[in-house]
Amino acid sequence: MTTTGDVQAPSSGRATPGGPRPRRRRSTGIGRVSTPVALLWLAPAIALIVGVVLFPAVMLFRASRSEYSITGLYLGSAGWENYSKVLSYPDLPVVLKNTLVWVVAVVAFTIVISLALAQLLVKDFPGRRFVRWAVIVPWAASLVITSQLFVLLYDYNYGLVNHVLLGLHVIDTPISFLGDDRFTMASMVVVGVFVSLPFTTFVFIAGLNAIPTDVMEAAEVDGASPWQRWRRITLPLLRPAMLIATVLNTIYVFNSFPIIYTLNDRNPGFGHDTLITFMYKLAFKSQEKDVGMSAATGVINVLIILVVVLVYLKVVNWREETR
Amino acid sequence: MSTTRRHTILGATAAGGALLLTACGGGTGADQAGGGGDDAEKATTITLMAAEYSKDNTKAFWDAFADEYKSTYGYTLDVNVVSWDNIDQQSSTMIQNNQPPDILNLNAYASYAKDGLLYDSDEVLPDEAKSDILPTFVQYGTYDGKFYGFPDLASARALFYNTSLFSKAGIANPPTTWEELEADAQKITDGGDVGYAMPLGPEESQGEFSMWLFNNGGDWKTDGSWAINSEQNVETLTFMKKLADEGVTQANPARTNRADAFDLFASGKAGMVVGFSPLAASLDEDGTVDYAVAPFPSNDGTESKTFGVTDYLMAFKKSGNQDAVKAFYELYYSKDQINTFIEKEGFLPVTQSGLEYFQKDDKLKVYLDTLPNARLTPTDDPTWDKIKLAVQQNLGSAMTGDPQETLDKLQQTAESEG
Repeated sequence: MTTTGDVQAPSSGRATPGGPRPRRRRSTGIGRVSTPVALLWLAPAIALIVGVVLFPAVMLFRASRSEYSITGLYLGSAGWENYSKVLSYPDLPVVLKNTLVWVVAVVAFTIVISLALAQLLVKDFPGRRFVRWAVIVPWAASLVITSQLFVLLYDYNYGLVNHVLLGLHVIDTPISFLGDDRFTMASMVVVGVFVSLPFTTFVFIAGLNAIPTDVMEAAEVDGASPWQRWRRITLPLLRPAMLIATVLNTIYVFNSFPIIYTLNDRNPGFGHDTLITFMYKLAFKSQEKDVGMSAATGVINVLIILVVVLVYLKVVNWREETR
Repeated sequence: MSTTRRHTILGATAAGGALLLTACGGGTGADQAGGGGDDAEKATTITLMAAEYSKDNTKAFWDAFADEYKSTYGYTLDVNVVSWDNIDQQSSTMIQNNQPPDILNLNAYASYAKDGLLYDSDEVLPDEAKSDILPTFVQYGTYDGKFYGFPDLASARALFYNTSLFSKAGIANPPTTWEELEADAQKITDGGDVGYAMPLGPEESQGEFSMWLFNNGGDWKTDGSWAINSEQNVETLTFMKKLADEGVTQANPARTNRADAFDLFASGKAGMVVGFSPLAASLDEDGTVDYAVAPFPSNDGTESKTFGVTDYLMAFKKSGNQDAVKAFYELYYSKDQINTFIEKEGFLPVTQSGLEYFQKDDKLKVYLDTLPNARLTPTDDPTWDKIKLAVQQNLGSAMTGDPQETLDKLQQTAESEG
């Protein structure tokens, strides 16, 4: 919640100097209400934020500073020990690297492919309705089911992918997509992109539809080539959509649990885990089986994603200001 | 101005979203603490958290059991059947919240006993039930001199072999030594199938390894101290690695879970696999694979030892629930109930009277004969609850690395924990 304050601060600061007194404005302005009335209207939203966001966050933080037995029994305060144990965990560098590769690869591929798909889907062609529906389907299916489906497709012995590749004589022996370290991450990224496409594509479709046609027509009259029109008009006007797609996808992909957990469940250790599955394994699958350490990882995860998102927004703002 | 505001909203949404999603992910550790039943009144309702052995039977059995329990003793039993994937997580969360179930059905108990959460047999187990339970299971259910881990059912492993693949490869009898097993696996592999399906993935690698090491005279613990990296165990794991290196197992044994190995055998593509009675039941139902069951061979041809597994019904100390819990065990260990449950789920008995009851089933003979002498993993040691997880995550690394080193590491972990 500190973020809200940070981001709002400059705009309110900008309004005060030289402007009319806020109090007079509030009492005379049209459509303004007194503070108690405003609070009354905001109460449900505030209650929701406190109950669903703040309360679990506080409890998560408390758990991260507690010591638990392997059974889950609370044993007392642990100070910052859980944090130091997580930060000095031998597999942490691998997990961080995996997380970075996973998030960057999935988000980047998703954005590029979605852009292309959205360009196609805004064009009018026979059967467009049908294709649009087909794009939504992966979104509607449960992630666990989708992941399980890919496990079957990737299977070493009877998977369709190996079957096709063998049939086409691309390979001589089947590939262990999920068991071979060289292929595991790539195989998971494919699934990650597959399930992120629908949402992103539809964000871009909305963005493309919002581009005024007269601007395009003007550019066409001025003799801009299709590539120039796309590069100089479409892309800049898609900026808000791009921003939303990137930020939401980053958070979503960073927190994605079912894909990695399902596709990686046969692999021992933490070789292909991201921070989210690492957190789960610490609590329930690893030899530590420690809820406290897991909660500490959870707090670290929140901080990481906050920093990443804020840095991204900052960079985007900064570019806008220097333009 | 409008873009700035959009960013503000976006920033807030993003921050809130991040917090929310991550908070949910880690939420298991963050639920409310405190509470707890301190009311001294006698409980009239108790809760059971039971593991789901099968979709069809488990819930049906416990629901019928709850009806019987109500009509016989007047207590109400709240039945909560949970899948094996989730039961650790749910029970752990309930204990964190100081609201454990009254009865928990799980594959481990020693850590709970160590934390002082459980009733021992003197407090809640009727004498007739205690004397009926097989001595092996009493032994492995005893922590620190007291019997806490009351077994609900058992399973024992045996070698399943595909008879049509065996005759295709010209093999008459199942192997009785490891050398024969290796040769048979090679012959089946030559025919284009998988000789021996070896699951050393994280699901249950300790089970596969136990079966092998018991049949090479090894054990996890000897005379009360850890012996994971004993000479026999290193020899055992080295032999298993040799099989994998020779290519007579399926590809990537270290990354194959038990369920996948069973699938391979059920599809008729694998010559041999270590299985148990529920696998037999599902193979019989499909009826597509011709198979037979034999004792798992020992390294030197001496008498086979079987690896046994049992799960537990443990009782949590909560004020006022003792009488109701005792009544629960009285009913569960009555012959009608326990034998019905075990028969429906396709497992093996844990009681003397159960052994007699199941003699009628010829198919179970190979298991029943070995059951009283079955070897178990050291479930009576709370350290094992952690070592088991360490084995699951690390044993497979021996397939691409050095068996000695893998076992040395596990031994170190065990010694530093215990």
